[in-house]
Parts: sequence; structure tokens; C-alpha cells
Amino acid sequence: MATTTVTPAVPGRRRRASLARREARWAYLFLAPWIVGFLAFTAGPMIASLWLSFTEYDVINSPRFTGLDNYRQLMSDPQVARSLGNTVYYTALHVPLVMAISLGLALLLKRVGRLSGFFRTVFYLPVMTPAVAVGILFLLLLNTQDGLINRGLALVGIDGPSWTTDPDWVMPGIVLMSLWSLGSTVIIYLAALQGVPRDLYEAAQLDGAGAWARFRHVTLPMISGALFFTLIVNTIASLQMFTEVYTMYFGNRQTAGSFSSDAASFYVIHLFREAFQFLHMGFASAMAWLLFLIILVITLVQVKLGNRFVYYEGEDR
Amino acid sequence: MSRKLRATALAGVLTLAISGCGGVGGGGDSGGGGAEGSGALSTMGFSLSDEIATTRVDAFKRDHGDVRLTITEGAFDEQQFLSAVASGNPPDLVYMDRKLIGTYAERGSIQPLTDCVEKQRVDMAEYRQSAREQVTLDGTVYGIPEFSQVRVLYLNEALLKRAGLGADDVNLADWAGLPALNARLAAVSGGRLSRIGIDPKIPEFLPMWAKANGADMISADGTRANLTDPKVVEALTTGVGLIQAQGGWGKFKSFRDTFDFFGAQNPLAKNQIAAWPMEEWFLNQAAKNSPDAELVVKPFVDRQGKPLSLSSGQAWVVTKGAKNPEAACAFVKQMTATDTWLAAARARAEARKAANLPFTGLWTGNTTADKKIFDEVYKPTGNKRFDDAVQTIRQAQDAAFAMPASPAGAEFDKAWTDAVNRVLSGQEQPAQALDRAQREATAALDKAAD
Amino acid sequence: MTTTSQPPAAGAVVAPVTAPGPVRQDDDGRRPRWQRVLFVLALVAAAVVFLLPFVWLVGASLRPREYVFAPGLLPTPFAPDNYARAWDAMPLFTWLFNSVVVGVAAAAAATLSSAWVAFGFAYFRFPGRNLLFGLVLATMMLPFAVTMIPTYLIWNRLGLVDTQVPLWAGNLFGSAFYIFLLRQFFLSLPREYFEAARVDGAGYPQLFWRMAFPLVRPALLVAFVFEFKASWTDLVKPLIYLRNEQLYTLPRGLKVILDRFGYGGEQQWEVVLAASVIATVPMIILFFLAQRHFVEGIATGGRKG
Repeated sequence: MATTTVTPAVPGRRRRASLARREARWAYLFLAPWIVGFLAFTAGPMIASLWLSFTEYDVINSPRFTGLDNYRQLMSDPQVARSLGNTVYYTALHVPLVMAISLGLALLLKRVGRLSGFFRTVFYLPVMTPAVAVGILFLLLLNTQDGLINRGLALVGIDGPSWTTDPDWVMPGIVLMSLWSLGSTVIIYLAALQGVPRDLYEAAQLDGAGAWARFRHVTLPMISGALFFTLIVNTIASLQMFTEVYTMYFGNRQTAGSFSSDAASFYVIHLFREAFQFLHMGFASAMAWLLFLIILVITLVQVKLGNRFVYYEGEDR
Repeated sequence: MSRKLRATALAGVLTLAISGCGGVGGGGDSGGGGAEGSGALSTMGFSLSDEIATTRVDAFKRDHGDVRLTITEGAFDEQQFLSAVASGNPPDLVYMDRKLIGTYAERGSIQPLTDCVEKQRVDMAEYRQSAREQVTLDGTVYGIPEFSQVRVLYLNEALLKRAGLGADDVNLADWAGLPALNARLAAVSGGRLSRIGIDPKIPEFLPMWAKANGADMISADGTRANLTDPKVVEALTTGVGLIQAQGGWGKFKSFRDTFDFFGAQNPLAKNQIAAWPMEEWFLNQAAKNSPDAELVVKPFVDRQGKPLSLSSGQAWVVTKGAKNPEAACAFVKQMTATDTWLAAARARAEARKAANLPFTGLWTGNTTADKKIFDEVYKPTGNKRFDDAVQTIRQAQDAAFAMPASPAGAEFDKAWTDAVNRVLSGQEQPAQALDRAQREATAALDKAAD
Repeated sequence: MTTTSQPPAAGAVVAPVTAPGPVRQDDDGRRPRWQRVLFVLALVAAAVVFLLPFVWLVGASLRPREYVFAPGLLPTPFAPDNYARAWDAMPLFTWLFNSVVVGVAAAAAATLSSAWVAFGFAYFRFPGRNLLFGLVLATMMLPFAVTMIPTYLIWNRLGLVDTQVPLWAGNLFGSAFYIFLLRQFFLSLPREYFEAARVDGAGYPQLFWRMAFPLVRPALLVAFVFEFKASWTDLVKPLIYLRNEQLYTLPRGLKVILDRFGYGGEQQWEVVLAASVIATVPMIILFFLAQRHFVEGIATGGRKG
């Protein structure tokens, strides 16, 4: 990182050394809260959770070491496989759709000048809506016979699917809901688009580049950093989807058992239920570590690919 | 901060984190104590939602002035319950569905009430047989039953008449005739379901349909699943067929989800449903909200036409680690005692009278209390429909069976419920789904038996 | 004044990154008028789609129970007493109050501690700084599920489960995103400014508290409103840590309302919807009060991430 190089003119090496020591002491004092927090709430728990993943532990009785049992069960448990499959399916639908629609909206926003402020607000309002309220709202909007969505589809002659009960349509329904809250991505893209120097477009136009060529060869490379960032952030977030879906399909109502929950099972939801509903803390810890590895690998792959395509404007990385 | 210091801090955090994993259970007799209980007493899962609840709690408070009672209101939540047990500071008493008791007893999160029953002379014989079975695992009592819910068949006679039928034409014993009957009662047009003919109420009531077909889904001792029995498959096939004929599960469920069972615009009043088995409490709601509706209540019957019902309900259990088991025992004893129920029934009857509404009885897990309530408190309303219905429900109470307590009750329940949901949503055929459920349930039951 | 070698982004004294202002002109004003109209129409259509769920939510929450699922968006017949019923049925006021208290505690804790730590990273040079800062950034990628269980065990061990403490106390140790964000702002402050104060005998805490802190107020507000919103929306922590309904925050309470009055419960959807509106309105108000800070925070994250 490029940081300041100005050094106060202090004569004498010893004084300077003692000053540096003093300064370092103060530096660590400033960092202390984070270091303590990191050890107590990040590093410590990570190690503890790794250790727990090799045990059977229900909080009430002491943990019992079971070696690789949890991991073996993890590999063969159909419910884990189902929830992981659902989560990946959701991510594969959600991330590209969010990026494409957000980019489209941002491009439009950039072209309407002063009006963009109003529309930006409209697109961002859903992000402010508490996730539980979003879940409730869409549970009703997605009602098969009387929901707003299927009523709308009926207007154009489409007999809408059973979004909340047909296992093939539960996930698309959730993706639909997730698209409502894409406002943050729009704002990121708009900021990136507004950062593209205008003379680049002018130069391209002089070279006879058409609208598509300008988009392809000027806009896209110039905002590739933002695209890359949203790709990573949205991927990580959607692999950890919890609140909206938990609100809609899980919780206490589960005992009523009047719907097929398998179709809506997400990885983190399954993990949460294993941990806190069944007190299988060891198994849930193993699930958490698997998730960590999956996210790590996906992110590393994305970074590796990203570095090939992303254009960093004069930034030293 | 030196490396040494950092290492020390790390070690400290780890100690904290890992020692946090130490056992916290045990300990039953600290605090409180005392004969018949004094000190603090806390409950979870119970709400003071009506006069039935408040009258009985007041009675306990009156007789046990030295007990500091804390009632944390709200429905039973499994996660909160386990979290409370894990914290080592659980409530003394939990109010939960009887079908969950076997699982928690097996896992050791609730304690046997052998001592309680013995010392405070709780007469288990007073409780309904079906309810008793649900709270007894391997001969040990783990819970004291509260209400007794049974299922009966509700008919909207206005809709039957419109279809040119009478209440006697609805014959649940004749499974072969159900599709035709349903077709006459339901209204599906243009892909839209606007009236349900017959609602089989599955998954919830599948055990009742199976029993009507002569099959028990689980053995009487709660250790062996019997889900692949052709009679269970047939019951499921019949129920699913009725729903498929009414637009399929998606439309059926989404339509039913918009019903308002507790209001003036209930599906009976709005003619949204013609025939459906349901818990006895709907009579109460109907009497309150739709006193003029043409409601007929008939018993649910098996295929030979003999009355049959599925019984369920709540129970009080004492948690492992409860600080004041004596007071807890005194509390549940009084809450379910004959006199207490009687007082609650009187309070309900008076409240109804004050609101100019009929009192349609109260069904508890205590047979003596029920008898006295109907002998002393209940008076026929004068509305023949409701009076007949009350008699039908009383008979259903006596003809009811319950799902027996099982050490893997929760897992068993989940296995077959999921199976039904898979069939309803069209993923699997009944036999195939129940086959898988049988495997899942058997695995859970075997694990619990280990 | 700004002659020191600062990171390229840092231009102004206070804001290193300018928010994408709505008044900024687009790249080429030579576009034909009809094209512009087309763009606006497309945006209007998109805006309608985004607003419809809100309109339906508010409309349906004001209809009598049997009309909740009726076609149309308008509150006809009009039943405003749904709100009174929701308010009476559940301790909504208590939950609202809890949400505000927990939200302010969480936001204040995160903002203050992150600023303190960020100043440390921005001002001082010391061995291991880049490594530690890399670690800060790395924790942003860590799934919460990995630390969720041991963190619960710690609070459980401390006897703080079923209190509101675990909902905000973790924030006392700084939060990676805000440390990153505030560090950017601190870096943009000219160093001579502080050197001069040092020569005058000011201690480091004074540098932070008296000089740096007030100068980055906009950034502090960004951190505060973001964390407040995050806390207001969070369901996971209340789900794990709270049992007593009197301690619930709004999302946790809303979930109870759904479970009790929605599916499998009494199917009083109008109560559920009214409560959802009550939980949402404060966030909408917050957004209109602090819109600039939200936009700035997101844009900064996007640009610098």
C-alpha cells in the first residue's frame, strides 16, 4: 500500500528508535480491540469448530471424539446433498441474473441524467425492507391461486406454477424473490459507469466504433472491477442464503408439516437446524467447515479467472 | 504486543471456547425445593390465552402462594427448548405436543415423573387411555396430559343440498364412492378451485385414514414402523386422489391457505368447503362465529362404518435440570385435576353466556373431569345441530386411538410426513414414497433403540 | 495542502470517494430525444415492477381478513384497525423498542471500535501491519456459519444466552468492512496536520478523538447507518440467542407472528401484513434520512473491494 513517507525530522538514531518503539506500542493499542476480537470471535471459534467437527456433541453432555464419522456421514447424507444442490442451483441462477439485470438498469440510469436519483431510490427500497418481511411478502405474492404474481401471469393468459408447493418451482420462486433486492448491485454498477472517463467514448466514436463495440471494448473493461467484485460478493452471499427462506418455509411451523421442505432446504438452513434444532453441534461444525472450503475454493477460482479479465485502472495491487 | 502475549491470549480464548463445551446438564435438586414446592417455578410453551388457562393458573397461585410462578408465554419451540436445556438453566416445566415426548425422553432432555406420580398421588387412571399411551414410554410416565383433541367429520349441509344430497349420502366407509362424491361437491372451473368437495387433511390425518383401513402405522410399543403395509399405501393413494381431482396440491393448498377458520368469514360460512375431517375445536369456533350455518357433524368412520378418531393433545413435562421438580409436579397435578378443569369449564360457560354465545363443552385428558363437565356445566344449547355435534364428539372421544409414544417419534413423524408431501407434490408414487419413509423411520428407530 | 503521497483515490480532505451523484450528466448528451424517452419509459416500467410488492403489501394490510387475497391493490374495503389488532395481539412496541436499543448499541459499538482500529492501521507504521490488515480483509470472506457454533458456546458459557448482549457486544471489537472503509478515509487526511499537533504535545488518543474523528464524520455515519440497518434486519442472532419474547427484536417477533397468525396458525394474514409494514417503515424512513450515506457506503465498497 502506498502510504505516507513523511518522517518527522528527529535528530539522533537512538531517539528515533525509541520513538518508533513508542509508536508501535500505541499502534498495537489501537489495534488491540480488533486483535482481541479476532482471537476470541474468529480464530478461536474456528479452531474450536474444527475440533468439534471431529466429535459428537449435544451441549448437554461432554463432546465425544468420533474421528472422521461426521465427515463420512456428511458425504453420504442425502439431505446434505439435497441442500447443497439446492444452494448451488440457486447461486447459479441468482448471481448471473442479478448481475445482468442490475447492469441493464444501471446502463439505463446512466442515460437519464437527473432522473436517475429517483429511480435509484426505487430500486434500493427493497434492500431496506427487513428480510423477514421480504419472506412474508413473497410467501403471499407467490400464492398459487391468489398471489399477485400468478394473477399477473393470468392476465397474459399464463397459468402460473405452484411456486410454494411444486418442488420444481420452489427454487425459481426464491430466485424471483431474491431479484427484488438487487438494488445494491445497481448502485455499484452505476458508480462504476459514472467513473468511466468520457473521452474514452469520444475516442472510440472517432475510431468509428458502434454502440455495441463501445460497450464491449470501453464500458465492459472499464467496469470489470465492479463486475468482478459483485460476482464474488453475490456468490458468497447466496451460498449463505438463510433468512428469507427460513422465514418462508421453516421454523416452528415445521411441526405442522404441511409442505415439502426438502425443496426449499438451503445448506446454511440445514446446518442451522442440525445445530440448534437437533443439537448435533459436531455434525453441524463439520458442515460449516465443508461450506468454508467450498466458498474458499470458489472464491480462489473466481479471483484467478478474474485477474485475467479485470482491468485495473492504474492501481497498484 | 509480543508474540508471547499473543500466544497467551490465543490460549486463553481457546480455553474459554473449549471449556464452554463442558457438560452443563445434571443438577436437579439445587435451589428451591421444599415439600409440595415453594420457591421459583418457570414454564415454557404455555400461554395465558383464554379463561381456560387463566382460571387454572389462578387456582394454582391461590393454593401455592409461596411459589413464584413465571410463565414465559408463546408456543412451544423446539429450538428454544433445547437451547434452554443446553444453557443449563431450563424452565422447570414445558408444555408440548404429546407426540414429541418419546423422542425427548429418549434423548434425556426431560425426566421421568415416576416420583411425582407416586409422592403426590397423581391418579393416572383418571386420564384418558389414548392420552396415557402417548406420555408413557417403556412403562415410564414422562408427561401429564392436558386437552384431548379428536377428529370428526364436518359437513356443510347447504352445499350438500345444492348438490342434491343429504348428510346421510356422505359415507366415508365407501372409499370407492369418494371420488364421485367429491366430484359432485367440489367446484373446479377454468383451472381454478373455488370450492373443496372433500378435504382428506393429509399429511396430518394419514394415520387416521390408515387405521380406518385396518393398519397401524407404528407398532403399539412405538419401536417398529409399518409404513409399507399395502393398507397404508391404499389410504395414501385414496387421499392423494381426492386432492389431485381438485386441481392438484398446489392449487388445493394455496386455496386452503387463504381460509379463515377463526373468523366470521370461515370456509363454512363462505361455502368454500363441503366435507372435511377436523379437530373438535372447530365446533367451538363455528358456534361462536356462524351460529346459523347448516353444519352437520358426523363421526369419522372406518371402512366397516364403525366410528373412529385420532386423538392428540398437549402434555406437561418436567425438564432435565429443572430446579424445582416438586413445585412443578404440584403445578401439573393441579392444572389437570378434576376440580380445576371443572372451574375452568364454568368460567368458559359464563364467559360464553355473557357474550350471548353457546357453550359447546370442553374436552380434557381427564375422563372424570369430562364426565363432570358434561353432567354439571354443559347444557344443551337448544340448537339441535350443535347439540347433536357435541354428542358425536363425546362418542368420538371414546372411540379415539392415539399414535403411541416412540423413542424416535419426531423422526418417525418427519419420515412419513415428508413421504406424503413428496407424493402430493408429484415427485413420487405412494408406494415408492412410503418405502423410503419406512427405511428412514426404521433407521431412526433402530438408532434410538441402541 | 495535500502534498503528501496519498493513495491515488484520495483527493479531497474528507471524502476520498465521491458518491455517484444523481445530478451528474451522462456520458453523451448527443443522444436523440426519442431515445431518451424510451429509456425513461423502460425505467418507469422497471420501477413499477419494483414498487408493486410494496403497494400490494400496504394495500392488503389495510383490507379486512377475507379480502387479503382478493384481486387488486387498493385497500378496499378499508380496514385500518388491522394495525390496532396487530399492535394489541403482540408486544410490537416492546419489539420496536428492543430493535432500536439493540440497533443503536450495535451500530455505536461497531462504529467507534472500527474507527479506533482503522486509525491505528492508517496512521501508524509498525511491523506486521500489512499482514494484519490482510487478515482483516480476509475475515470478510469467512462464512458466519463457521464461527456461529463456538460463538454460541462462548455466550452460553458466560451465561449471556437469553439476553440481548450477544446481539451487539461482538461489535465492540471492530468490524472488518468498517475498518476498511474508515481506514480509507483516515488515509486521505494529510499527515502534516497530525505531525503539527504532535509537536504541540498532543497524545495519540487526542489525535484520534479530537482531530481525526470529527473529520471523518460522514464516513462514521455511513458505518453507523449500515450497521443499524444490519442489526434491524438480522434474524439469525435473535433466533439463536433469544427465548423470552419480551427480549425479541422486530424480525424475531415478526417470525413469531407469521408462525402464529400465518400458516399452520390462525391464518390471520391481515395481522401478519400489518406487522410487516410496521417493521419496514422505520427502515424506509432511515433510508430517506440517510440516503446519501447508504449510496456512498455501497459505492465505496464496490469501488475499493
